[in-house]
Amino acid sequence: MHGHGKHKEALKAGEKWLVLVGNPNVGKSVIFGALTGRYATVSNYPGTTVEVSRGTAKIGGQRFGIIDSPGVNSLVPMSEDERVTRDILLNEDIGSVLQVMDSKNLRRGLLITLQLAEMGLPVTLALNMYDEAGERGITIDADGLSRSMGLGVVPTIATQRWNLDKLFDAFTHRKSPDFNVAYHPNIEEGIKRIGGLLPAARISNRSLAIMLLSNDTTLNDWVAESAPGATAGIEQIRTETQARFKEPIGYIINRTRLKTVDSIVEKVVRQEHTGKSKLSTLIGSLSMHPVWGVPILLAVLFFMYEFVGVLGAGVSVNFFENTIFKAYLNPWTTRVVEYVFPSGLMHDLIVGPYGIVTMAFTYAIAIVLPIVGFFFIFFSFLEDSGYLPRLAIMVDKIFKLMGLNGKAVLPMVLGLGCDTMATMTTRILETKKERVIVTLLLALGVPCSAQLGVILGMLGAVSLAATLWWAGSVVVVTLLVGYLASKVLPGESSDFILEIPPIRMPQLSNIVLKTLVRVEWYLKEAVPLFVLGTLLLFALDKTNALKYLEAAGSPVIVGFLDLPVETTKAFIVGFLRRDYGAAGLFALQKDGLLTPNQVVVSLVTMTLFVPCIANFFMIVKERGAKAAVWMTLFIFPFAVLMGGALNLILKIFGVTL
Amino acid sequence: MAGNKAVEEVLEFIWSQREQGSNSVRQLLGIEEVAEEADIKTLEDMGRAGLVNISGDNIVLTMDGERLAEAAIRRHRLAERLLTEVLAMDEASIEKNACSFEHTLSPEVTDSICTLLGHPPTCPHGLPIPRGNCCKKERGEMKPIVQQLNALDVGESGRIIFIASNSHMRLDKLGTLGIVPGSTLRVHQKRPAFVIQIGETTLALDPEIIKEIYVKKIF
Repeated sequence: MHGHGKHKEALKAGEKWLVLVGNPNVGKSVIFGALTGRYATVSNYPGTTVEVSRGTAKIGGQRFGIIDSPGVNSLVPMSEDERVTRDILLNEDIGSVLQVMDSKNLRRGLLITLQLAEMGLPVTLALNMYDEAGERGITIDADGLSRSMGLGVVPTIATQRWNLDKLFDAFTHRKSPDFNVAYHPNIEEGIKRIGGLLPAARISNRSLAIMLLSNDTTLNDWVAESAPGATAGIEQIRTETQARFKEPIGYIINRTRLKTVDSIVEKVVRQEHTGKSKLSTLIGSLSMHPVWGVPILLAVLFFMYEFVGVLGAGVSVNFFENTIFKAYLNPWTTRVVEYVFPSGLMHDLIVGPYGIVTMAFTYAIAIVLPIVGFFFIFFSFLEDSGYLPRLAIMVDKIFKLMGLNGKAVLPMVLGLGCDTMATMTTRILETKKERVIVTLLLALGVPCSAQLGVILGMLGAVSLAATLWWAGSVVVVTLLVGYLASKVLPGESSDFILEIPPIRMPQLSNIVLKTLVRVEWYLKEAVPLFVLGTLLLFALDKTNALKYLEAAGSPVIVGFLDLPVETTKAFIVGFLRRDYGAAGLFALQKDGLLTPNQVVVSLVTMTLFVPCIANFFMIVKERGAKAAVWMTLFIFPFAVLMGGALNLILKIFGVTL
Repeated sequence: MAGNKAVEEVLEFIWSQREQGSNSVRQLLGIEEVAEEADIKTLEDMGRAGLVNISGDNIVLTMDGERLAEAAIRRHRLAERLLTEVLAMDEASIEKNACSFEHTLSPEVTDSICTLLGHPPTCPHGLPIPRGNCCKKERGEMKPIVQQLNALDVGESGRIIFIASNSHMRLDKLGTLGIVPGSTLRVHQKRPAFVIQIGETTLALDPEIIKEIYVKKIF
């Protein structure tokens, strides 16, 4: 939900990186955090890390550079996040690789080990989640594995930091495993021929030739750059080789590797049937059960409403806003400021109706912060439990209507945390079409934690019926836009293939740490924008432009949406951040200026309102400036239109909430 | 004329030429295997027997020819499936055996093989197998030894015999997750989405993919 990508660490000359590689959701980020002391987001679902994190580990007074990479199932990338990892191996100055694997799933882990060995990289294996393997009656002969593959093997339990100190050798390990898979003679011939066309690279010639022979199109750019003119030759060899087989070459190569892996696994893994069934397994099965899954989903939503909306937005906001700010902080500040600046511009700038303390800080710290804090706690718990991928199973059919599949629920739910980071997470989706649709839906219909919290707080004060009207409207609009987008946009949808991790009891320490990191991120990212928005309002007010804007917006806001004219300023700051706009509505509601119907109409409009500035720039980065502008141009009038439509519907049917 | 091996071969080649979008006599006779068995005279004989219509360089199957060709193609491709998946023969001997096999199979035996293999939609090369009567009927008394994964009940396990997918991308993806012929998997649930277990990995899979995975049930 927050990236460390901007943080660039550099290495001194002669130093090399250690890279953490492995299948998704095996604990790379936990190990990264433990070795570097820096926090990388850790959750219990595949695809948490979509960006590269860099850090340094200090061992015996020496410093070593270490890179955390997104999880992969193959080093021939099939999605953008997998490509990030492959590109690190291809382009970075790598000294050694620490492959983290799930001890329960040795077979899939070793499939990657073979590819790393093929690349000629020095590999050390961390057999992580060693305890979970034990619980399932799986025993692994680590020495045997080490001997048969010629590399270091260390059993670990990263979350308990068990045996992590034994991983230190991996940093200085420079000997690549001498283990090679022999493929079908026809394929070997193709490898040799393609290899002859390639220049020397950071990874072995053989591995590159194998990837190209498997038709890895993501390497096209690399070929065009490093071996100009070889493209046609490679393509010809590939076609010739493929003509000799009925199945795709990549598939045959993979099957040969699996056969090799299976023969190793057979030697080193022993499986006993424990016959024990754990409570967590039962919960895991029930939460994706066709019948029981539904009440569980509703219970999760209801608990979120109670915890974030009622406890967070009600009780704790009351405490922060009324007790801390209104009773103490604001009067004190006002007294101090009045002492220094009895009146005038500076006075109003700090404690006036659009003052930095009385408005920006009150909104950011007193209203939004407690709410996002509660939301982050709840959300971290959900993330770490392993529930989210199960949710994907429950909603797969609905998402199919929008040209997506259940996997897209992951970025969408992450959007409830922060749409900006969720936009980056769309990398886990396989086709461009899916990424565009999810990006649009995130910008349109998914309220971020801050906004959602404020909204739940406002609706919690009205009624459950109002909440359902709001949620229903937003869901229907999102589904509709998703459905239409899937019909209009060109491109393909991808297969629904999603790994479901085991249900785990979240660790308190990780929840606390993750919540703190996110709160810090919120303060850094949101507060400056809140201040900026307040300055904007302040300037508009002082120059009387606010009145003109209110007058100009009034046909739409008063006439079409039936909202009081004061809401105009909430929508103005909504252009900067939707949660700030929502906080403005929250304050109006508290002052008794909004009827329940107006609350729902204004909230639906604000929920659908333009993406915040940070999200806008993330869309530019991930999808391009053109897409970002088009999306915003579509969303803004559309949001107002939907708010007006809802207002009409409520009026026609005479609904009073 | 209908039972003639050479004629059947030629009919099959006309059929597969048509799949590739060609109905040229010249191209047909250019195929090595056809040239061994037939020449333009054979084709003309077939025309007189009411199996094909020839006009200029174009050759098309008549209704009768169509029926015979379809049956022969079906036998050939089913034989290929049987030899590849069940008897696990290598590529060279498959072609040789499939060719002699197909001319001796009676319709009853053909349908039995089809049922046994779970009515596979394609041959190992990915070409469609024409449907027979057995495919249209609901399951009869004979239990197939190979069936689509979705035929298994929740909790049952199967060994993958073949994956009938023409999407390279899909095969590659499944392969990296360990889903290849020979692997064993268990059906965890079928609704609201299909979930399987393979080793200690639990995976949600699209129903379309599930239909392409053919398994032999493990008791």
